[in-house]
Amino acid sequence: MDIDDILREVDPVFHAVPQEKRDLQDLTRAWVAERCAPELLHWPADGLFERVNDNIKRQIEKVEEMTGDMDPKTNFALIVLQTELERFKYIVRSYLRARIAKIDRHTLHYLSTDELRSRLSEMELAYATRHQALLHNHYLSSFLSSFPPQMQNLNDAGGNSTMIDTPDLESAVFIRLLIDTVVEGRGVDADGEMNGKVDDIVILRWSDAKPLVDAGSAELV
Amino acid sequence: MALPLPPGLTHSEVAFLAEMEMVTVVPRQRLESIDLLSGQTPPLRPPHRAQLPLWLALLLKKQRRANIVPPPWLHPASLADIIHRETKGAGFSAPPPPPARANPHEPGRARRFADDDVTLSPPFQPSCTANAPAGYLPYHWLEVAESLLTHAGDDMAAPVGEVRSLLRDLVEVRAAKMRDSISELQGLERGMMLLTGVGSIELAESRGFVLGVVDGVRKIGASTEATRRDKEEMGDERDDEGSDDDMGI
Amino acid sequence: MSYYDIDAILTDAEKLPCTFQIDVPDLGYLDNAPTQTLRAGAKVALPLWLAEMLAVANDDQGKSFVNFDLPRALGNDVIQALKADPRAVPLRDQSAHFFGLATRMMDLLAEEQELGSVLRKTFVTRATEIALHARKVGGGGKAAGGDDGASNLGVGGAGEEFLRGLDETERKLFRKAHEGAKAAKEWMENVKKH
Repeated sequence: MDIDDILREVDPVFHAVPQEKRDLQDLTRAWVAERCAPELLHWPADGLFERVNDNIKRQIEKVEEMTGDMDPKTNFALIVLQTELERFKYIVRSYLRARIAKIDRHTLHYLSTDELRSRLSEMELAYATRHQALLHNHYLSSFLSSFPPQMQNLNDAGGNSTMIDTPDLESAVFIRLLIDTVVEGRGVDADGEMNGKVDDIVILRWSDAKPLVDAGSAELV
Repeated sequence: MALPLPPGLTHSEVAFLAEMEMVTVVPRQRLESIDLLSGQTPPLRPPHRAQLPLWLALLLKKQRRANIVPPPWLHPASLADIIHRETKGAGFSAPPPPPARANPHEPGRARRFADDDVTLSPPFQPSCTANAPAGYLPYHWLEVAESLLTHAGDDMAAPVGEVRSLLRDLVEVRAAKMRDSISELQGLERGMMLLTGVGSIELAESRGFVLGVVDGVRKIGASTEATRRDKEEMGDERDDEGSDDDMGI
Repeated sequence: MSYYDIDAILTDAEKLPCTFQIDVPDLGYLDNAPTQTLRAGAKVALPLWLAEMLAVANDDQGKSFVNFDLPRALGNDVIQALKADPRAVPLRDQSAHFFGLATRMMDLLAEEQELGSVLRKTFVTRATEIALHARKVGGGGKAAGGDDGASNLGVGGAGEEFLRGLDETERKLFRKAHEGAKAAKEWMENVKKH
């Protein structure tokens, strides 16, 4: 029996993994997932990013305070704090930029239905709407307005093709299983099913992986 | 500013992740606990060992404030053993078993390193500390090994050259496996393929190509697949009709 | 398929052998007979997108305007050669968008399923070969930048010949494999520097 188990017995709400570490795991997982998924994922609903951002802000203030203090003893601690701060900022920045890249690439698609719009944060939604409007006005004033009226649309879906590009949800991805679970996949000649084990790494279509990832049974790698 | 990168982590992103692996250090100086965003660091008291993320351990090492204890899997004997198994076996050697801890309610049964609503996975599983098991390569094995050899060579259990040459053999034998797995990609007909035990750097190197092949096979097979699904659906409908009749009787 | 995908558009411009099923006034210039009527039974090569539309369209008796056949790129000779050795056929000489064209044709001609399994096997076998070559030139750092990727790779001999015969899909694959190998090498050198 280790110390965590003892603590757990005396205090049932004790978490073996402290909040800070859980947040870092969640943040990292969200970042990796967004970098690997072929489509935009849901903005985390549990306030993870708001919490992380607040913590970053507080840490920046602390670093500024300490910078005034010239005691060489605290100097090393300051370097450590700053290094870690930069690492957090890197993840957050890369996460946001990976999302912006997807939104830019398929703006009309992500604005097209309520379900898709709900994946964006408030700020992202404002950005996407405004960006699209600016782009459309720019196209209009620079060339679209000289087209015949029926050819000025950017979102025609006539015939068997639509002008609104969408991400390919059947693209293959790599996932790692976080629990023992059944994995189902669709293939060309047959569909398959297997009893996956924790830590298994599987290649399969994103549309088949998504339910596992959404349920927390697997993560993108 | 949108990120101008294709899907999938790059080598440097993967190496960045690996720097969050916990390693064991032996401090050479006292250092009070630091209140980091990821939690408080343990106070360092020579000669007591402590667990720190790799990036911090490297920072201490560069300033000669600590030595790093290499993880047991990086010992030459362990590497040689893994190379031996990789050469004999077909797939990648198994990843380290989930850090098992005694479960008070079910003695003797291993429990996953998980809390109520968070499941830790690499780099947040302690698979590079002095307590990690020998003979298993963790997900970030190559990044951790390379950065320890480069920055903490004098802390290694054997001469750096010896460890490096073992690592090189390991990279080679596993690269050959990755190539072999490509010819199996056609067997992805059943919709999935296992690559358990693969390392993050190995994934970063092959990701674009492997996924390109899988997607290519899917696109070339799209009409075959659609035809098959139509047939199966019609078969199902017929079955349904059959069962309706049965109900009628 | 993406609306703005150049490769998809170019694939749709590939010519198919078509046979007109009805007489069409004034279209004779398609068959080197300007101002004449194009007679039913005339064989004309038409781009895929047009052939598809005309094959789907019917006149008032329910007869298609044209029938089309597999392009020569997917003809029996090529398929037999691919069955014998997928690596020995320079696909690019058949069509720069060989696999794209094949995919479109299988979509249009549902009965061509055997073609599908030959092509999938071809694709994977050649992909394995592509991976090998991409690794060989992995250190060069001079390859795969522009669109004419395969010519100046310094692979030499049979390898160069094979790479020259890659179609567009395969060239993209080669580029990805090459970029992966190159990134790995750069990373390795970088770790040691810092």
